[in-house]
This record gives sequence, C-alpha cells and structure tokens, in this order.
Amino acid sequence: MPSHPLRVAVVCSSNQNRSMEAHNILSKRGFDVRSFGTGSHVKLPGPAPDKPNVYDFKTSYEQMYNDLVRKDKELYTQNGILHMLDRNKRIKTRPERFQSCKDHFDLVVTCEERVYDQVLEDLSSREQETLQSVHVINVDIQDNHEEATLGAFLICEMCQCIQHTDDMENEIDELLQEFEDKSNRPFLHTVCFY
Amino acid sequence: MSKEQDAAHAVDVTTSEKVVELLNQAALISTEEKLTVLKQVQELIINKDPSLLDNFLDEMIAFQTDKSMEVRKFVIGFIEEACKRDNELLLRLVANLNMLLRDESVNVVKKAILTLTQLYKVTLQWMVRSKVVTEMQEACWNMLTQMKEGVLALLDSENDGVRTHAIKFTESLIISLSPRTSDSDVPKRQEADISLDKIPKDHSYIRYDVLCEEGKSALEQLLMFMVHPAISSINLTTALGSLATLAPNLPPTLAKSQVSSVRKNLKIHLVAVLKHPCSLDYQAQIGTLLLDLGMAQSEITRATPVPREPRKRPRHEQYPEGKKIKMEPAGGSAIDLTAHFLHPLLNPENVANLVLISMVYLPDVMPASFQATYTPVESAGTEAQIKHLARLMATQMTAAGIGPGLDNKGDSKDVMAGGERMIKRKNPMGHAQAISVVGSYGEKQFAIEVPLIKKLPEPILPSAQTKLPGATGRKKVFRLADVVQPLLESQIETMTSTAVKRILNAEKTIIRVKLLSRLVTQFKGMMKEDVLGFILEDIRSRSDLAFSLLYQEYNAYLSQLPEGLLDGYDHCLYTLLSGLQEKPEQRDGLFTKLVLEAPIITESALEVIRRYCEDESRVYLGMTTLKELIVKRPSRQFQYLHVLLDLSSHEKEKVRSTALAFIKRMYEKDQLRDYIEKFALNYMQLLVHPNPPSVLFGADKDTEVAAPWTEESVRQCLFLYLSLLPLNHRLVHELASVYTEAIADIKRSVLRVIEQPIRGMGMNSPDLLLLVETCPKGAETLVTRCLHILTDKVPPSPELVERVRDLYHKRVPDVRFLIPVINGLEKKEVILALPKLIKLNPIVVKEVFNRLLGTQHSEGSSSMSPLTPGELLISLHNIDSNKCDMKSIIKATNLCYGEKNVYTSEVLAVVMQQLMEQNPLPMLLMRTVIQSLSMYPRLGGFVMNILSRLIGKQVWKHPKVWEGFVKCCQRTKPQSFSVLLQLPATQLTSVFDRCPELRDPLLQHVLSFTPHQQAHLAPSVMAALEAGEKPEVKPLERRVEATPTHTAVAPPAVVKVKVVEERPFQTHLPPVQSRLPPPVQSHLPPPVQTHLPPPVQTHLPPPVQTHLPPPTQTHLPPVQRKQPDTRTSVEEPMEQGPIDTGVKAKPDPTVSQVKVPRPEESSTPPAETTEEEEPMEADPEPSELNEPIGEADGDGAVEAKDGREAEEAE
Repeated sequence: MPSHPLRVAVVCSSNQNRSMEAHNILSKRGFDVRSFGTGSHVKLPGPAPDKPNVYDFKTSYEQMYNDLVRKDKELYTQNGILHMLDRNKRIKTRPERFQSCKDHFDLVVTCEERVYDQVLEDLSSREQETLQSVHVINVDIQDNHEEATLGAFLICEMCQCIQHTDDMENEIDELLQEFEDKSNRPFLHTVCFY
Repeated sequence: MSKEQDAAHAVDVTTSEKVVELLNQAALISTEEKLTVLKQVQELIINKDPSLLDNFLDEMIAFQTDKSMEVRKFVIGFIEEACKRDNELLLRLVANLNMLLRDESVNVVKKAILTLTQLYKVTLQWMVRSKVVTEMQEACWNMLTQMKEGVLALLDSENDGVRTHAIKFTESLIISLSPRTSDSDVPKRQEADISLDKIPKDHSYIRYDVLCEEGKSALEQLLMFMVHPAISSINLTTALGSLATLAPNLPPTLAKSQVSSVRKNLKIHLVAVLKHPCSLDYQAQIGTLLLDLGMAQSEITRATPVPREPRKRPRHEQYPEGKKIKMEPAGGSAIDLTAHFLHPLLNPENVANLVLISMVYLPDVMPASFQATYTPVESAGTEAQIKHLARLMATQMTAAGIGPGLDNKGDSKDVMAGGERMIKRKNPMGHAQAISVVGSYGEKQFAIEVPLIKKLPEPILPSAQTKLPGATGRKKVFRLADVVQPLLESQIETMTSTAVKRILNAEKTIIRVKLLSRLVTQFKGMMKEDVLGFILEDIRSRSDLAFSLLYQEYNAYLSQLPEGLLDGYDHCLYTLLSGLQEKPEQRDGLFTKLVLEAPIITESALEVIRRYCEDESRVYLGMTTLKELIVKRPSRQFQYLHVLLDLSSHEKEKVRSTALAFIKRMYEKDQLRDYIEKFALNYMQLLVHPNPPSVLFGADKDTEVAAPWTEESVRQCLFLYLSLLPLNHRLVHELASVYTEAIADIKRSVLRVIEQPIRGMGMNSPDLLLLVETCPKGAETLVTRCLHILTDKVPPSPELVERVRDLYHKRVPDVRFLIPVINGLEKKEVILALPKLIKLNPIVVKEVFNRLLGTQHSEGSSSMSPLTPGELLISLHNIDSNKCDMKSIIKATNLCYGEKNVYTSEVLAVVMQQLMEQNPLPMLLMRTVIQSLSMYPRLGGFVMNILSRLIGKQVWKHPKVWEGFVKCCQRTKPQSFSVLLQLPATQLTSVFDRCPELRDPLLQHVLSFTPHQQAHLAPSVMAALEAGEKPEVKPLERRVEATPTHTAVAPPAVVKVKVVEERPFQTHLPPVQSRLPPPVQSHLPPPVQTHLPPPVQTHLPPPVQTHLPPPTQTHLPPVQRKQPDTRTSVEEPMEQGPIDTGVKAKPDPTVSQVKVPRPEESSTPPAETTEEEEPMEADPEPSELNEPIGEADGDGAVEAKDGREAEEAE
C-alpha cells in the first residue's frame, strides 16, 4: 500500500459536472485529488441544445454563476446548473484544463472515451523525463447529475481499492476486471509515462 | 574578493551545520518527517552547496537500509540526483544501486529500474566523454552492464509493475544504443542524451559494435516478450507504447475491455508512426491496419503526411532503428511471392470453399476478443481487398512454412517445382491442411483474428529470419507426411491396444503409471476401457494408476478450457466409482479417497455416490463420503447437501435414518443451516397440496395425478423436519401454519408423528410455549396434541400451565386445552372447569379423571393433583345441575367408584361424612351412600350412622334425598330397621307408602323386641307400624311354615327355591339373633353355624376398627351405643357371600336387589359379561375393569332408575 495518498486526477470534458462530482467525493475521502477538463472550452447547457453557454477556462465558476443568474435565473436553477456551479465554486475557483497541467499523478480517471483519447494523446505527446508511470482509466459516465453522482461513487470506490492494494501496478489489472464485472461497464485502461 | 569568500564560507559553515543537524534528526524521527528532513538535506547538498555532497554522501546512503520503503526509494532518487550532479560519484554509488535493485520491495525495485534507466545514459555519456578510462570506471561500467542484463531479465518478472518498468528501461536502452538519424524523433529535452552515433568508434573502452549488438538483442527480447501469449494488458500497452508496433496476436487471456484498451493504444501509436515522414513506404499497410482498427478513411488521410521526395535512407542500418524496425520488409520477399501466387486463385468460388472449410474449425462460441475487434470488411470483393486477403493468407502460409514464396526462398531451383506442387495441391485439401496447421498455432484464433493476424508477421519474421536463415526452407525438406503410409484404422487400433496392454502388464516399471495415463487420455477409444477394466480387476493395488488416470483426464479438460468437455473425465470417474460399488465390501476407504481426491465431482459421479447411500450395506460409507464432500468442497456443497437431504425421505428406513443423523450434524454448521432448513420446510410445505406432489415419488416414477395422501407420504414430507425440530424449536411455528392448511387426513397423520420430536423439545421450550400462547386458528388440535404429549409422562410446568390458562381464558375457551395441564391448575379452577369437562366424550372424561386421580402416571405424580380423590367426588356432587346434566355427573361419579384403589372405604366414608354436613344436602348424596355400601358392605354400620343422622337433619324435607333414604333403608334391612324406627311416625308412614313391603318385616322386628324394648317406641310409631296390622298375621303364619322368609312379598311359587337359597341367609342372622329374640335362633341349622364363626371372628372385626378414620369413629358412637353389635352382625354376611354364590343358581329377583351385589363385589374379578357390556356405555376403552360395576350388576337398575329420576327432577 503506497504510504502517500494516491495522487488522482479526474478528467471530463468541461470540468464541471462529472469530474467535479468525483472531485468532491474523493477529496472528502482524503484523496489528493484534482480535476480537469480536456475540451478547448467550457460548455454549459443553454436555453436550447444548439445554444450552449461557452466560456474559456479562465472564467471562474463564480463568474459563470453570475452570468447565468443574469441570463435566466429560473431556467438554470431548474435544470440544476446553478446548483452545480455553486458547489464547484466552493471546491475551487475555476475549471482547469488537463493539457495545461504539468503536475504528475499516479492515476488519471477519465469520464468518457473521447476524454480518454485526449488525455492519452496529450500524455504521449509530452516529452518523457522521469519515466514515472501514470495509470489512465476510463469510466464511461453519462453527462447528467444522477449518473455523475453514481459514477463518482464508483470512481471513489475504485480509488479506495487501488489505494489499498499492496502493489498497485501488479494488482490493478485484476482489480479493474473485478470492477468491470461488478459495475457492468467496460473500463479502458493503460499506462503512460511522465 | 575575500569578503565574498568569507560570505561563502559563512554559508558553508551554516549549511554544513544545518545538514549535520538535520541528519541527526533524521535518524530519530518517524518515516514521514524523515522524508521531509532528508529532502531538505538533499536540496542543501546537491543544489545549494554541491561541495558538501561528498562529505555527507555516506550518511545519506546509510539510509538505504532503512526499514521504510519510502526512505529507500528516496535514497534511490538521491543516488540519481547525486550521480547526475557529479558523475564521479557513480563509481561509489553504482554498487548501492545494484543492491537496491535487488530490494525485497517491488516499489523500490521499480524505482531503481527507473533510476538505472537514467543513469545508464549518464554513465555511457560519461564514459564516452572521458578519454582515459580508469580501472574503476571499467569496473563501474561492467557492473552497470550486469545490472542492465538483470533488468532485461526482469522482463520475465512475475510482477506486472516490474515488467512494465523493465520494458520502459528496455525502450530507453534501445534508443540509447541506436544511432540517431535525421529522421529520428528526438524530444527537445533529450537532445543532449547519448545515442549510438555519438559514440566514437575508436573509443578506448566502449566498443561501438558491442553496444550495437546489445541494443539489438534488447530489442529482440522486447519483441519476444510481446508475442508471449500470456502478456498482460498493461505490459502490452507499455510495450506498444515503446515500439508503436506489435504483433497483436491479441492474447486470449485479455478481457473484452482490455482488448479495446489495447486496440485504442495501437491506433494512437500507429497514427503517430503514420505521421512520421519515414513511414512513407508503409503508409498503405498502416492505412489498412488502421481501417481494420475501425478508423475512418478520412482520419487516416488527415494523418498521412504529404508525400515528400523519396529519400535514400542511409542503409548502413542493418541495425534496427528505434521504433521503426518492424516495417523492415524482411519477410517481404517470401510473403510477397506467395501473395502474388495466391492472388489469381482467389476467385469467389475458391474463397467460398475456403470459408466453408474453415467453418469446421470455428469455435462454438464467439470469443470475446473477436466480438470486440470485429469490423465488417468494407471493401469486400475489390481488387485491393483481394490483394490484401492474398497477402494475409500468404503471411499465414509463410509462417506455417508452406507456399511458393518459401520454396522460392529456400531453394531457388524449386521455384517451378514448388509452384507446380502448390498448383497440384490447390484442391480444397491443400487449403484445409494449411488452415489446420495455422489452426494448431492458436486454434481458436485463426478464423477469428483474420483482421489482426496480418500484423503478426512483420515483427516476428525479421527476428526469426535473421536468426535462422533458411530454417523455414529446411522445414520443407523432410515432411513426415510425405514419406509414410497411413495405417488402416483397424491396424492402428490393434497396435495401440497391444502396446497399451504391454505397458499395463509391465507392472514393475516406474514411469508406467504416468505413461499409461498420458497415453490413454490423449488417445481415446477402447484403450481407455481396457485400462479402466484393468484397474478395476484389482483396484486396491492399482489405485495409483486410477488416480493418475483421473488427474490426466482432468488435465486434458483444463487444457481445453473454456470449450473443453468433461466427458472423458466424467466417464473415467464414473467407471471407477461404479466399478468400486460392484466390488465386495471394502474397508480401506478407497471409495472415499477417490471421491475426495477427484478434482471435480460430476453429475454422474454424484449419482454413483447416491447409489452408495441408497445401498443399505454401504449407506454409512456413502454418507460419510458425502459429508466429507459437503465439508471439504464448499463451492458446491449445496449440491451435495441436496443429495443428502433428498435421501432423508428415502423409503428405506436405514438410509433415511442415517441421512437424518448426518443432516442433524450438518445442521450445526451455520453456513448449511439455512439450506437444510429451507429444504425441510419446503418439503413440509408440500403437505398443503390436496394431493401428494410428484416429487415424493421420485423422478422416475410416474404419478397418478390424483393419488391420495397416505400415512406414508405424509411421513415422508416430515421426516427431515421432525428430526430438525428438536434442534431448532423455532421451526415448530412452520408446522402450525402448514397444519392449519392441510386436509384432515394429513392432520391426523401429523398428530401421530409429532410425538417423538415434541417430547424431545420438552415443555420448557420457549417456542413451544409461544406456540401454545399464540395457537394459530386451526391449529388447536395440534396444540392440544402437543400438550398431551408433553404432559403424558410428567406433570406440566408452571410456565406451560400459565400459557394454557391464558389461551383458555383469552382466546380459545375450549376446555379440552385444560386437560393436559389439569394437574397444574389450582383447585378452584379445576372445580370450575369440571362441569364442562365431564360433558365431554367419555374417553376424554376418563382421561381427565385418570389425570386427576393420578391413576395414569406410574411415577406417582398423583400427589400433584390439585384435588384429592375425596375432594373430586365432593365437587362432583356440588356441581350445579344447571351447568351440567345429572346424567353426566352420575357417569362421572361412576368413574370415581370404578377406581376402587383410590376410592377406598375410608375415602368414601370421609366423602359421605362431609357431604352429609352440607346444607342443603347434595342431590346425589343418597346415591353415593348406596353405591358406597354396595362397594364396601362393611360400611353398613357407618351408613346406618349416616342415615340416623340424616333423620336428625330432617331428611324428608329434601324430596330426592328422602327418596334415596327410603331406598337405602329398603336395601339395608334388616339393619335399617333400627334407623327406621327412629323416624317420626308420619315419616315412617311415608316410608311404608313408598315401600309397603318394609312394614311387615319391621313389625316383626318390633314384635321380637322385649316388652321393655317395645316400650321405648312411641305409640304413634307403633300405630304406623300396625296400620296395616291385618296382613301382619300372614307373615307370622308363614314364618312357622317356612322358617326363614322375611320376604313375604315373594310369589309362592318361588318360595321353595328360596328356602334352599335363603338358608344361607339365615346365617346372616346369627349374631343378630344372639341379641334378638330366640325364636329366630332356633331356626338356624346347626351345621351352618359351626361353619361360620371362625372366619367371621378372625376376619372381620379388626379391619373395620383399625381402618375407620378417627373422625368417623367419633361420629359413630351414638349408633353404637344403641346397637352395639349391629356392626359386626352386618359385616359378617360379606364373608359368607362367596359361599352363597357357589350354591346359588339364579337369585331371586327380589332378593337379589340387595344381596347379589355383595358376592360379586367381594369376589372382585367380575364376570366377563361386565366387560362386554361396557362398550354399550360408549366407552370403548376397556382398560378399567372395575369401573362399570354399578352398571353391570343389579345396582345398575337402581342407578339407572336414579338417573332417570334425577333427570326427571331436572
């Protein structure tokens, strides 16, 4: 069992819903966790499917919140976006983009296959220095509030199991198999190097 | 200047002091703090003031033996940093790193590998830089080389993580040991890193070519590693990443999602390769690969770089160059040739044939990997696709060592011949052969992985072909199949079986067993039967062969997983087991051993075990084995348990009882308990069906649909349950609920069978008490039955009584509940319940009385009865006739009288005494008196006493009692005469009215008095006596004629007979006579007199005097005073009775009313007729002989009459 808490990164596309939900739970359980998005912009649902609210990664959650309140408080209260932003701003100031973070992690959990691809692409495009390994695992989570919560618990359970392994690299394969059977969803898994 | 130096010095001192202080701290504190402190030290001595590094190196390195893994890892990191900072330190530190590389903790090893990856490059660079290589440096380099080999060997490590790191190391190694070309993709940061081309070819120590070879061999190792069939997904992806190429002979050990992870990786890396300008020559191939991997054509095009001017690649690279070797067209020639050859042959017809043939080799189930990777062939039938297919096949064929390409390569002269041969063999057979060869390479994969398989050759072939040039060609030279003739089927068979027999008979050979079992498993057929037969001939001494065979079969099965069939194994085990069963008795437990050591118990083997269990002579052995199975094979224990449970309702008693005994033991195990319980309850639940379900008859027997429940089938459902019941009392509630739903026949059967288990539970069982307390509707009879069972032998416990009382009072006011616990109730309650109790069915009433009187329990628990027999009888008398009809009461009292052992004369005397003192007098008082008298004639005196006291109580005011009084007097004459004479005249007249025949004898009696005595009589009495004076004369006359008769009423015709009869009666009188007038005395025939006195004197007086309880005696005196001798005179006749009966043929009806009972009672064993008559009374239980006395003999008439009167009174 690693003596230090796992350094975990949870990644979704906009660093709003799925990754933040998991961030929230994991940090409560004592993990060294950070969350990221991989998209080029932060997108939040708008009044119509083809009219999303688009922000860049520099915009803080607070600003987004205020912006949406200004636009249509009722709509965004009702669809839970304001609530989500409110939670997010209490966790950290603004969304972060995975590609711009140079810190090292032990484990990167992605919430969608597209995100997984982007993370892998980014990691393999980086220059390898320390050759320290990082495991990347994809857990497909639909982008809505309920699934995000469920997914966050699944991720959390998984992280806890991994944290408790004696030799993570040796056991993670089987562990994921078990989880796969248990949760009945396929995981993608690979290892990259920093 | 000096200032600066000073300042530097000052810093120096402080830094060094600080380091010392920190190191001292570090030795003493916990791991976590230690790490922080050590990090500070590292920062200080490496970055801040490297000059200190040397000073403190040893202190820092000392931590490499620290207990904590983290600290050791830190030390490794420190070594790396230190060496990078000062290459000279390598000389000192490389040995330490070597030590850490062998650390016991995997994580430390991994870290060490990573560090080595870095340091290897650093060292190489350093070596290259230093123009003069010292001995120390040489040693250091040698060690490093050793370590490098060590890490390469770790590619075979058991630990996934270690392997991953080893791969990474290998990658870095290969890159370092490869020359960098202008095409090489060098990350900026690593620009300065060493690579082969920077190594001067004339270096004094580092040999360019040696390193080059090392790099190549490392690459080979990596390639070998990847085609390893058991590679893990992580290793695979790592290796993929390292090489961006692979023979993704995707191992069948990967799960679906792992396969997709790997494929994804493959795609990413292939795209990376594709983007690389050098891939130009292979764009088409990579493109096809990517298409197969499911990438859209447009994406591929996007990734493909614009073709550049084709450039000559410096072809001095016979060395593989980094990531790109796999594209080496080494196998190209052979494959291309074959592909070229195949291309025109692939017309639709041939392809269809091929597909059909290969169908045969497809697995039954689509493997996960195929399902995951399959993409429909988009461009089927196009020229490009046919080419592609031809190439695929060529690859396969080349790998399998056939095809014109190979022939061509192997021996150029053969080109034409090979081509011809191929053409000759171009029939389907040829293809099939090719396929089957490929099939053997990875049977299931062949057909499945067609899209992927093409990636196989390129990486493999280069190594295979560089290693063994022409090896493939040689394969062609000798083909066994070409030179041998197939044997006939029959020949093969005889040869094999004789061979096997020879081995069989060579019993002494050591390897024989192994040999045989292998042989037999691999070649099925009749050999197997032979061997099995051989084993069974003498299984004791051949058991090792048996086991070996069994294991071999199992092994064969395992090796074919997941599609493998157990048939062979099953057959083997089955034959052995059933063979054993046919053998006579065995004591060495071979059967058990075989079962327990068999790796799997198949269905049919279980069937044999079951047969064992059903065989009465082996039931114990079978069940012990089964039990062992249950205990020792937890994964399927329920299956085994089920068999055992099934046997618990087996028709053979022995099988059943053994099974039950075993189950009871199993039942103590928690993990089995639920299952057993559920089974038992399910089985019991069958009882609610209107007809027995077919399960009960076993699967083989076809059931008549409407077969009714039989006692047998009901019991079958209950065996298991009932044997569990005493172990788990909670189950009793289930029985109750089933019971309420079951039909009457079943209920009856259930009541019959529960006795044993309920008794086993005992009346203190809380669940049983609860059952009584809750008593579900419909289960009343069950509860009652339970109560009866419980109290059958022992008196009820207070708790039980309490529950029953509760039930009775609050829920089900059925008095029958009380019966079992009646002895636990209070006196008051019993008395209260009596009216209801005695109205029940006579059998039940009888039981109640048995309980109350303690005549049932042999253990003498009668003392527990809340009522003494006397009290019982008294309370019967006191039952309010409104609550209960007189008839029932009378019957109840009769039951009491039947218990002569209990109701002795003393008890009855006390009862009478007490009854008499009540006010008002109980209606049945006189009946009881008469009854008592007829039972115990010696109570006569006492009765007289009672009678006279009743007179004192003015008995005539109670009409019923008065009637009885008169009757009693009538029966007890002449004793009662003195009592009668005490009556007032009016009442006396009333007596005569009712019973005129009394008058005459009484008058005679009075007349025999002395005048003095007569004077005592009131004149009114005399008047009453003489009121019928007229007929009085007649008797007097008669007395002269026929001396003895006092029964004047008797018809004259009978008189003569009577004379004979009555004579004995005369003998009653003697004592009376002695006091009474002499004339009577003179009548007595002397012989009789001489007969009698002795018995009378010896027998009678003492019992009465000694027996009568003192209170009675105190009551008696008044009577005694008046007629001191009456008592003896009354008692005497009793003894004479028997003698009389001997003489008497038929008693005179009139006389018999009084007299007949006497003889019968004194000769206690009654006539058989009495018994036979009993049933008429609706009491089928003939157990108590004494009981119906009153009804059977003459008194019956009286009693019946009494009863009727009583009823009329009501």
